[in-house]
Amino acid sequence: MARIPSEHFFEKLGERSISFFTTVYEIAILFMQTIRALPSLWFYRRQFIEQLYAFSVKTLPIAAVIAIFIGLGATVQSTYQSSELLTRAVLVNVIFKTTILELCPIVLSLVLAGKLGASLAAEIGSMKISEQIEALETMSLDPVGFLVVPRVVAGLLMLPVITIIANFLAIFSSFFVSAVTSEWISAAEFGSGLEMDFKVFEMYFGNLIKPAVYGVLIALMGSYFGLKTSGGAKGVGAASTNAVVVSAVFIVIFDYYLGKLLL
Amino acid sequence: MISVRGIHKSFDEKEVLTGIDLDIPDNSTMVILGPSGQGKTVFIKTLVRLIEPDAGSISYDGEDILRMSRREWQAYQNNIAFVFQNSALFDFLDVRENLSLFLRMHKKLTPFQMYAEVSRAITFVGLGDDVLDKYPEELSGGMRKRVAIARAMIKRPKYIFYDEPTTGLDQNNAEKVSELILMLKKEIAATSIIVTHDIKLMRDVADRVALLREGNISFTGTKDEISAETLDFLYETRGEYDL
Ligand SMILES: Nc1ncnc2c1ncn2[C@@H]1O[C@H](COP(=O)(O)OP(=O)(O)OP(=O)(O)O)[C@@H](O)[C@H]1O
Ligand SMILES: [Mg+2]
Repeated sequence: MARIPSEHFFEKLGERSISFFTTVYEIAILFMQTIRALPSLWFYRRQFIEQLYAFSVKTLPIAAVIAIFIGLGATVQSTYQSSELLTRAVLVNVIFKTTILELCPIVLSLVLAGKLGASLAAEIGSMKISEQIEALETMSLDPVGFLVVPRVVAGLLMLPVITIIANFLAIFSSFFVSAVTSEWISAAEFGSGLEMDFKVFEMYFGNLIKPAVYGVLIALMGSYFGLKTSGGAKGVGAASTNAVVVSAVFIVIFDYYLGKLLL
Repeated sequence: MISVRGIHKSFDEKEVLTGIDLDIPDNSTMVILGPSGQGKTVFIKTLVRLIEPDAGSISYDGEDILRMSRREWQAYQNNIAFVFQNSALFDFLDVRENLSLFLRMHKKLTPFQMYAEVSRAITFVGLGDDVLDKYPEELSGGMRKRVAIARAMIKRPKYIFYDEPTTGLDQNNAEKVSELILMLKKEIAATSIIVTHDIKLMRDVADRVALLREGNISFTGTKDEISAETLDFLYETRGEYDL
C-alpha cells in the first residue's frame, strides 16, 4: 500500500529532528572529551605546533583580502548614507564599531568555517576511512588528544590573532578611502571618531572573545564530522559539507547570543 | 593464549558475528580463512577492541581484555601490533616518522637508538634507507604494506594481527609478504593472527586454520586437515581446489 504523503513527511521530520539532537549531543560529548584531554596538549605538542602553523598560514592571505574589503565596503556604504544629522566623526565611530564588533569577526569566521572547517573534516575523514584513526588507537595514541585537541586549541588561539590583524587592516583601509584618497574626512576627525565612546571591554569582545569562540566551533565541527566519516570518498565529501554548514549555523546563532551579552 | 568465547556483533539489524568461540595458542600462526564480507575484519578488530562486541569474552593469558579500563587497555596494547587491510600509514608523516612515532611517544630512547631501530626495521622488510624520507603516497601498495609490517614489528609485540595482508598485491609482493610473516614470527617469536581469503597465504604460513563462514567458525584444525570439499563449501565453488 502506498504511504500517505503527510504521514511520510512527519516521519521524516521526526527522524531528522532526532538525528539533529543526537548530533548536537555527540558534539557536546566530543567537546567534553576535548576538555578532558587538554592536559595531553604537551604530550602532543608537535601536532599542536603544526596546527598553529596551518591555522595561520592557510588563512592569513584570504583574511587580509576580506578585511581590507570589509573596511572599504563599510566606509563606502556609510559615506553614501551620511547626512547632515550626524557628524562625520560619529559616522567613523559607527563604522569602527560595526566592523570590529560584528562585521569582521563574523564574516571572517564564516569564510574560515568554509576554508578550515572543510579541510579539517576532509583531513580527519580521510584518515578515518583509511583506518589511520584506528592505527592511532593501536599505538596507544588517543585520537581526541592527537587530532582534536591540537586543532581546537589552535582555533581558540589563532582566530583571535587573525581577527586582530584583520581588524587593523579593515580600519586602515577605511581610513585610506575616507581620509587619504578622498577628502570626505580629515585624519584628525577620523582619529576623534575612533576615540569616541571607546570601551576597552568592547575591544576584548570583538578581537578576542568572539573569534575565540568561533575558532573552537570551527575546529570542533571539522573534527566531529571528520571522525564520523563513513563510506569512502563520498563520505569525506559529505563530512566537509556538513562541517561547513553546521559550523556556519552555529556561528550565526552564537553571534546573536554573544551580541546580546553586550546589551 | 587468546581465548574467545561467544562473540556476538550486530550492526543495526544485521548480525555479523554469531557467537564465535576460538582458542589461539601462543607462538602459533593462526589463519582465519573466509570469503569476502563474512565478517573477518569485524572479528579481528573485536580481538583488539577496535570494535566492541555486543556479547562474549576475549582473554589474553587469562586476562579478560573487555573488562579492562581504557587506561589499562592502552598499557596492555604495547603487547599488540595490527597490520591493517589498507596499511593505514599516517599520510601526514614520512616513512621514518611513521616508524618512529610509537617509540617517540612511548619509549624513552636516545635519537641514536631510535635511528638504529628504524633502520633495522626497514632493512628487515627489505626496503632501502632511501624510502625513509618518502611519504606514503609516494610508495607502491607493496612497499606500503612492508612499511606497515615494519611499523608493527618496531613495537616488538607479543601478538601481531594481520587483516588481509596480501589482498590487492601482485603475486610477487604477496609472496614477499608471506615470507615476511614467517621471518617476523621467528625474529620476535610472536603469536600471529591472520584473517584472509587467500588460500595460498594460508598454505604458506598457517600452523592452525579456522574457517569463518556466515559470522561463525565452521572448522578449526591444522592446514592438512582441510579438504578440498571443505574449501569448495566455504567459497561456494565446485571442484576448484586441488590440495
Ligand atoms: N561499521 C559498520 N557498520 C555497518 N555494517 C558493517 C560495519 N562494519 C562491517 N559491517 C558489515 O559487516 C559485514 C562484514 O564486514 P567485514 O568488513 O568484516 O567483511 P570481511 O570479511 O572483512 O570482507 P573483506 O574480505 O571484503 O574485507 C559486511 O556485510 C559489512 O557490511
Ligand atoms: Mg576485511
